Amino acid sequence: MITVTINEKQIKLEKPVTILEAAKVAGIKIPTLCHHEMLKPFGGCRLCLVEVEKLPRLQTACTLSVTDGMVVRTETERVIDARKAMLEFLLINHALDCPYCDKAGECDLQDLVVKYGPTTGRFAEGKRKHPESYDDPIIVRNMERCISCTRCVRMCNQVQGASAISMVNRTSKTYVEPFSGGRYNCEYCGNCLTVCPVGAIISRLHKHTYRPWFIEKNVDTICSFCGVGCTFTVQSRGDAIIRVVPEAGKGVNNGLLCNRGRFGYDYVNSPKRLKSPMIRKDGVLQETTWSEAFAYIAQQLKTIKEQHGGNAIAGVASARCTNEDNYVFQKFMRVALGSNNIDSVAGFAFAPAQRLFGKIFGQGVTANPISGIAKSDGVFTIGGDPTSVNPVLGLQIRAVAQQGVPVVTVGYAAGLRRFSTNRLLPAPFTETTLLAALVSELLKKKPLSGEKSAFGEIIGKLQSISLAEASEVCGIPVKELEACVENLSGVTNPSVIIGRDIIQRTDGHTTILLLAALVHILNGRIYLSSELPNEQGLVDMGCLPDMLPGARPVAVESFRKRYEEFVKGEIPSAPGLGLMEIIEGIKAKRIKALYVMGENVAFNVPGQKFVKEVLSTLDFLIVQDIFLNETAQRAHVVLPSLSWSEKEGSYTNLEGRMQHLRKAIGGQGIEDWKILAEISTRLGVAMQYRDAQDVLAEIAKVSPLHKGISYEDMDGGECMWPYKGEPLRHDAGIEGLSMPDMKSLLKKSDKSKLYIGIDKPLFHSASQSRHSAALNSISSKPYVKIGSSIAKRLEVADGDYVSLSTETDTLELPALVFADMPEGLVLVPNNVEERGAFKLLPWKLNAVMKIPALDGIEVTVTKSERMTAEVAA
Amino acid sequence: MLSEKVITEINRIKSKYQEPRSTLLPSLYVVQRENGWIAPEAMAEVGDLLNIPKATVKGVATFYSMFRHKPVGRHVIQLCTNVACMIMGAERLVDLLKQKYGLEPNGTTADGRFSLVIMECIGACGTAPAMLVNTDFHDNLTEENIFKILESYK
Amino acid sequence: MEPFLLKNISNPNSADLSEYVKTGGYAALAKAIDMKPSDIIDEVKKSGLRGRGGAGFPTGMKWSFAAADPKKPKYLVCNADEGEPGTFKDRPILEKNPHLLIEGMAISGHALQAEYGYIYLRGEYPKAKDILEGAIAQAYEKGYLGDNILGKGIRFHLYVHQGAGAYICGEETALIESLEGKRGQPRTRPPFPVNEGFLAKPTVVNNVETLSNIPYIITIGAEAYSKIGSADCPGPKLYSVSGHVKKPGVYELPMGTTLKDIIYDHCGGILGDKKIKAVIPGGISTPVLPGDKLNCPMDFPSMPKHGSMLGSGAVMVFDESVDLVKVCLRAIKFFEHESCGKCTPCREGVGWLRSILVRINSGQGREGDIDLLMEVSKNILGKTFCPLGDGAATVVQSFIKHFRNEFENKIKEAVSV
Repeated sequence: MITVTINEKQIKLEKPVTILEAAKVAGIKIPTLCHHEMLKPFGGCRLCLVEVEKLPRLQTACTLSVTDGMVVRTETERVIDARKAMLEFLLINHALDCPYCDKAGECDLQDLVVKYGPTTGRFAEGKRKHPESYDDPIIVRNMERCISCTRCVRMCNQVQGASAISMVNRTSKTYVEPFSGGRYNCEYCGNCLTVCPVGAIISRLHKHTYRPWFIEKNVDTICSFCGVGCTFTVQSRGDAIIRVVPEAGKGVNNGLLCNRGRFGYDYVNSPKRLKSPMIRKDGVLQETTWSEAFAYIAQQLKTIKEQHGGNAIAGVASARCTNEDNYVFQKFMRVALGSNNIDSVAGFAFAPAQRLFGKIFGQGVTANPISGIAKSDGVFTIGGDPTSVNPVLGLQIRAVAQQGVPVVTVGYAAGLRRFSTNRLLPAPFTETTLLAALVSELLKKKPLSGEKSAFGEIIGKLQSISLAEASEVCGIPVKELEACVENLSGVTNPSVIIGRDIIQRTDGHTTILLLAALVHILNGRIYLSSELPNEQGLVDMGCLPDMLPGARPVAVESFRKRYEEFVKGEIPSAPGLGLMEIIEGIKAKRIKALYVMGENVAFNVPGQKFVKEVLSTLDFLIVQDIFLNETAQRAHVVLPSLSWSEKEGSYTNLEGRMQHLRKAIGGQGIEDWKILAEISTRLGVAMQYRDAQDVLAEIAKVSPLHKGISYEDMDGGECMWPYKGEPLRHDAGIEGLSMPDMKSLLKKSDKSKLYIGIDKPLFHSASQSRHSAALNSISSKPYVKIGSSIAKRLEVADGDYVSLSTETDTLELPALVFADMPEGLVLVPNNVEERGAFKLLPWKLNAVMKIPALDGIEVTVTKSERMTAEVAA
Repeated sequence: MLSEKVITEINRIKSKYQEPRSTLLPSLYVVQRENGWIAPEAMAEVGDLLNIPKATVKGVATFYSMFRHKPVGRHVIQLCTNVACMIMGAERLVDLLKQKYGLEPNGTTADGRFSLVIMECIGACGTAPAMLVNTDFHDNLTEENIFKILESYK
Repeated sequence: MEPFLLKNISNPNSADLSEYVKTGGYAALAKAIDMKPSDIIDEVKKSGLRGRGGAGFPTGMKWSFAAADPKKPKYLVCNADEGEPGTFKDRPILEKNPHLLIEGMAISGHALQAEYGYIYLRGEYPKAKDILEGAIAQAYEKGYLGDNILGKGIRFHLYVHQGAGAYICGEETALIESLEGKRGQPRTRPPFPVNEGFLAKPTVVNNVETLSNIPYIITIGAEAYSKIGSADCPGPKLYSVSGHVKKPGVYELPMGTTLKDIIYDHCGGILGDKKIKAVIPGGISTPVLPGDKLNCPMDFPSMPKHGSMLGSGAVMVFDESVDLVKVCLRAIKFFEHESCGKCTPCREGVGWLRSILVRINSGQGREGDIDLLMEVSKNILGKTFCPLGDGAATVVQSFIKHFRNEFENKIKEAVSV
């Protein structure tokens, strides 16, 4: 126990902390500028100088730790004089253009000068001149206001790990600069903006558009871009979002955001938003009234159901919609339309992977707090770059790497390049072999002990494969593999982060099995990357062909009966079709009507051309969305719904945390659940919810997992799986699972061939972000990433156009050349209209999991005649 | 593009440090010795070689006053004007360099022969004024002998 | 006193190993290598050796802190970033007696059980780099460095690391940052380098002269050593004398020799037999003394009693013709140029001092400028992250204290015009 006296107040502390922290405990505020709770102590601004008895010099409270018996004074004349002096020094080279500066009103320096003076300056010479930089589309840099606190640089280095900016020069000529001196070319997380205490770096999105005191509403809500579910405050005026701001200590993100979350919100205010319902008449979508649209849909669906039965209708739910929306959607499909044909893109990888891991280890095995990554003693990532798919989760990996914990990265993950202890770049689609070898070797070093388990037996059946054999197949030197095994064998509680790319394979199920073995041997925790905000919610709400809310199998009679009792209706007992099967069903004319809520089926399913053709054969296609996307363009009825910021509800993030989404602004559409309820009622299945809370109250009754759940629970902060409910605890059985056979593992890839893979860009997410002017200003063009050896062979320079051809289609894209890309692989993102990877990737099924198989698609790359014309333009 | 020679030298230096990052200053010296200055592209390449972000490299390179960030003449005169040299007449030498060669501090002669850098103390206070020409040390400078010395640099 | 540190430097081949060995070189290492590390540390403690870089911290104590830290490996770093204007005392060792330093480091490395040593050499000494590297190569060849020193299984590797023009890197934590390839800005202390220094491992940073004293202590023994010079601060000391004296240069004298003796006895008095006006006794960051106050022993404890500091022992002498306002301005320009930019008072305040001094010196001074200079320096003093800003403030305060009239005269002229 340490006793410290600050301003004659005695404070007892368990462990030594800085004077600043001790003072905070006692409610004593010591002014600071360079200090920030998210950063390491710096001691540069000298604002926090305090008197410490027995020490002749004033001491910085932010750096000095208290010792037992220490006596500190923070408000003596000497201290206040020093503060005044520091502020006077800071104002020497500070622009003092407060009337023009966006930061005025929320500027730490302004506030401190108001409090401590000086009221007049004695500095009579000219200030430093440094023209404001508008070179960047997102960040305006004004170095005449910079006070060299270096918070932004430390944030960029220590927390974001991007190290895109630095202090340059020294003396009073020091300032902050990105490498280029102009454009940032960084990750655009904007976390530097959060920590800048003055107006030296300003978001260009809202520069000169507001004053802090013009903000009318502050609403805490959840980001809609990915499965991390960051908390931020939406600040708005009227129905316009002015900006979103995170706060240290709040949410899973603890004050951090990524570029999409921080700047991508502007799609909400896009002029392209759907404003009115539309019905296709004479082949053209024409505006109509809501009541006409509801009546038309109800009548059409009724007819189809009567003529062909509920099984002829299918529905696609959305990982961008809330739990409430998705709950009502599955109820609408099951009860009002009598169909279990419900799925979403979560059914492509997230849900099946979770199901398989759940089968092996028990339900909820993937519900691990993201914050646990930073506490683990090792990280294993595979299947995509977590720093671009789930950027804020990625920061945890970078943080733990900076502490010296081993990080093993399998596959091309540029964002972890400087943070990986072992960076394994196997030949395209040979990860299964690599995993089999790692598991074989690790089994030797860490044999399974304790009780024999069923899964242990399956692992035991793995035919051992040597590192040398794997090296042959994967093209990774044995030494690198040995180093990786060495690192992995030393860990005891690693985080295993698994991305979608490793699952959507012909052998995705065996890969999962091997990953499970790895997790089992290493005592790891599984994190499933999730590209969308509510994939977990889709699973939990029963938007799956075979699962009811609470992840209860529909085929189990007791679960079905319980559900039917609650919803007062009968539902089909057999599981329905998954999304891939639905599309096949449409092609086979078994499915006549498709109801799509907030998903862009025509774009987000591989084999776009095929899917579009199939969709156009539907008798009836209903799309509710906020934009007229490729799917909506083919619909018979289009209904404008609301964006994430315009409605109340909840999201469940990838760690199984339920979070409360609050309405921040008004919008022109109607909540998805409300649209469904209206149509359902017209179909004779009354749904009378007043608001989202009513829906949640029903979920709390219907889903055993969500028993008694309420928004208050979520607002309380800790709303982690399994909440207050009952997870499914039954022996799911792992029969039917088997390890891959040796022959397939030893199959070498053809080195002469090029394969196409999917790139997950940091600046875009599915097809929603394409409507964000801010994200487009960072990056709007599609591209293909190629390795330098291919570039050299084709005589292609960075930015040159290349033509990509697969069995399915051809695309011309500018090439981005990377020296460290694995050979034999080119990567194309799937975000931009008509230019996405799923145009080139064919419709191909993993027959076991009924999911897309995106591996082994050959591509021919040739230098395009078009050259750099578009780039020049 | 860094020359093969520079890359080889950087890799050689890398082997003697426990921490690759420590190689940064010596590596920047290698580049500067080869090119006379350190271009932004060279910083980026050095960063790639040492796995250091290029913005960080720039922050380091601009911190130290002996690294140069624009092209220089064939010979770099580094003349000390700190107190000991100043009271022994260094300022007069600066004036003379301007008169004779049109050479300003931080400037380069039109023919690209000399660049002038004003130095803080170079540790020759007892034999002031003093200068370094490239890496050659010259002290006890006078208004006469400085030009004799400089004329030997063609 | 027979010189030890500068022994042989008149020999044109003094940097050569064989010359060094001829006069007893590496005998101390041969002796020390058989000693227990802790015994060497005790010996250095007993000798009373205090760091010669300027702060005067007891060397043996510093070593014992690092030795007590269980973390491994340990590092020994030689601070050869002699940047304090007026100081050129380490240069003769580096360029003419490099093996003395190498021997000192090998012994110190053994004492600290450090396996790696770095000589952080200022970029302004390119010649010294070549000489040191040549000498190190010779020492490796003869087994004074390497994996098996003198066949006794002791391991010590030594490298030269060149700085690139940053005075602040003479500050030990900034030096370590620079050695790690970073911007040379000082670190927060604690943790101290003896516990978390280079690569967060226990690191001892000693000045060239300090390390060069180690062979001497080993050779003559702590007791004999402690009898040289001042009682509470013993040993030989290198004084570098510059400015208006007849025989400027580096002098190895017993610690505590008075300023007067240094200037008049050893350096032959003032150039042209002019009147002396002022002396900066310990490098530019130490307070200036008027020319009539020279009766002070030049050692760490005595100098503060006489209103200044020993610093690096760099004596700068100014005769009556010198314009001290100009000297003060030039000194402040130096501090401004070298401020690392980390902390507010140094980064902003020193530039402010410069701009006021520029004004006064160029005949644009205003009434109240002297008070403002005093006020600004008071606001810097004691509030900066490291001593660099204090140095600047001290210069201004001491110049005004002793030579206020020179400032006043310049301002009066300006105001009356």
